[in-house]
Amino acid sequence: MELRAFYQEHYRAILGTVSVLAFIVIWESLLTFVIPLNPFFFTKPSLIAVAFKEQVIHGALWRDLAVSSRAFLWGFSLAILFGIPIGAFMGWRKRAEYTLDPFLTALYASPLVALAPLMIVVFGVGLLAKAMLVFLLSVFPFIFNTFAGVRSTDRLLINVVRSFGGKEKDLYLKVIFPSTLPYIAAGARIALGRGLVGIIVGEFYAASEGIGFAISRFGDTYKLPEMFAGILVLMIGAVVMTEGMRKLEALLAPWKMSQESQ
Amino acid sequence: MNRLVNFYNEREHYLLGWGFILILMLAWETLPRLVALPRGLTLFFTTPTRVVEAFYHLIVENKIQHHLYVSSIEFLFGLALAIGVGLPLGLIAGRSKIIDAMVDPYVTVLNATPRLIFLPLFILWFGIGMWSKVVIVFIGAVFPLLINTQEGVKNVDQVLVNVVRSFGANEWQVMKTVVLPNSVPYIIAGLRLAIGRAVLGVVVGEFFGASEGLGYMIASAATNYKVDVVFVGVAIFMGLSLALTLWVKKLETRLSRWRPEDTKAF
Repeated sequence: MELRAFYQEHYRAILGTVSVLAFIVIWESLLTFVIPLNPFFFTKPSLIAVAFKEQVIHGALWRDLAVSSRAFLWGFSLAILFGIPIGAFMGWRKRAEYTLDPFLTALYASPLVALAPLMIVVFGVGLLAKAMLVFLLSVFPFIFNTFAGVRSTDRLLINVVRSFGGKEKDLYLKVIFPSTLPYIAAGARIALGRGLVGIIVGEFYAASEGIGFAISRFGDTYKLPEMFAGILVLMIGAVVMTEGMRKLEALLAPWKMSQESQ
Repeated sequence: MNRLVNFYNEREHYLLGWGFILILMLAWETLPRLVALPRGLTLFFTTPTRVVEAFYHLIVENKIQHHLYVSSIEFLFGLALAIGVGLPLGLIAGRSKIIDAMVDPYVTVLNATPRLIFLPLFILWFGIGMWSKVVIVFIGAVFPLLINTQEGVKNVDQVLVNVVRSFGANEWQVMKTVVLPNSVPYIIAGLRLAIGRAVLGVVVGEFFGASEGLGYMIASAATNYKVDVVFVGVAIFMGLSLALTLWVKKLETRLSRWRPEDTKAF
């Protein structure tokens, strides 16, 4: 009976774990007992685990990860630095919104990643091109979410601050900024995904180091276990960052969890 | 004078928006005529008129049609596959708690990871032809569709489901009369996201190990410093994305016409 109650309470975690374990076991045993493994075409979990251990302990992948993170952080910081002020300006001044909105919406809706080859030709193979690509892709969620946040600021709160003699500075710091913060956090999660796309495309296209480069090189040289290990590392990183952002969002705005913007 | 002011005030929204784009275009066009650009920069510089010219030449010389055709086929195949898999799976996962719990880890992990990372793997498995691109488009577009469909199914009004059940409907009839119509706005929102991902998949998929398609055209033009051709490709992708986004929005209003106004927003 107790077992049943335990299952009822944790059925999601239990079923999830079971399905992942079953997937791994079936994958492993299929390639061990049923189908002969062609190492140039496929691999199996035990080999991936060995490669993962090798890569993580002996650290070739750490260096690639560090290279990628540096470019990512540069681009992402620039996106925050430009995106939030532009968005706030658009939200606060009606004419700024009218002027900038169609232009920026068109850019946001279009696949700017198509500019990647040009960026690499112009800025060269290396940090700058990748950082610019990340910036270009991840600046728009910051702009539009800040914009939406400022726009949805409660007018009543603004009037209250004004009535009590608050200055423009007080308005920004005490009302607009706090009420915009959860929107920005939601934007950051979207920007994160787009920024990762920028890094990967930049490194696939032309690079000599970085996690994307490592994965595509392993693919080119048919080192499938190492390639899967690289993908696994990237997956773990992406999930940790996305969930971290989600936690941050919940922390900043516990009253509007699970409300997706965009 | 007063009439002019009125005219401006009434259309300020459009005048400012389009005016800004126009001014940017003009500035882009006239910049190289006003100031002498450094030599290193002229190599990478082009103007809107030259882009239009390049576009015209590409069409006349029949150089772009084939690329456009290949990219469209990849896009359509991949998106159709994503709809064919994502929609049913989302409906099932939304109705069954057990399947939802079993699928959830994969969906969470794969949705957080940029699926483009699988591109080298798909090229290895499916070759450098069309199919590796179709698969990358598929895997990019399937998750927004699946997640949104599931969300729509979960948010269905339980009272309505119970009413239909009381009148003796089976699971299929519940699905058809209540669940599916209710999920339409969610599905359309998913479709909008999926289209964006699909276009991304086409572009990036064709950058690497391809010999045809618009992405290939852009990549090879960039390596040959044909900046105007790069912008032709970028402009086509931009136009197509905007057109598709507008079309989906139209579809959304068309499909939720029967809905009372206050429930349209979600």
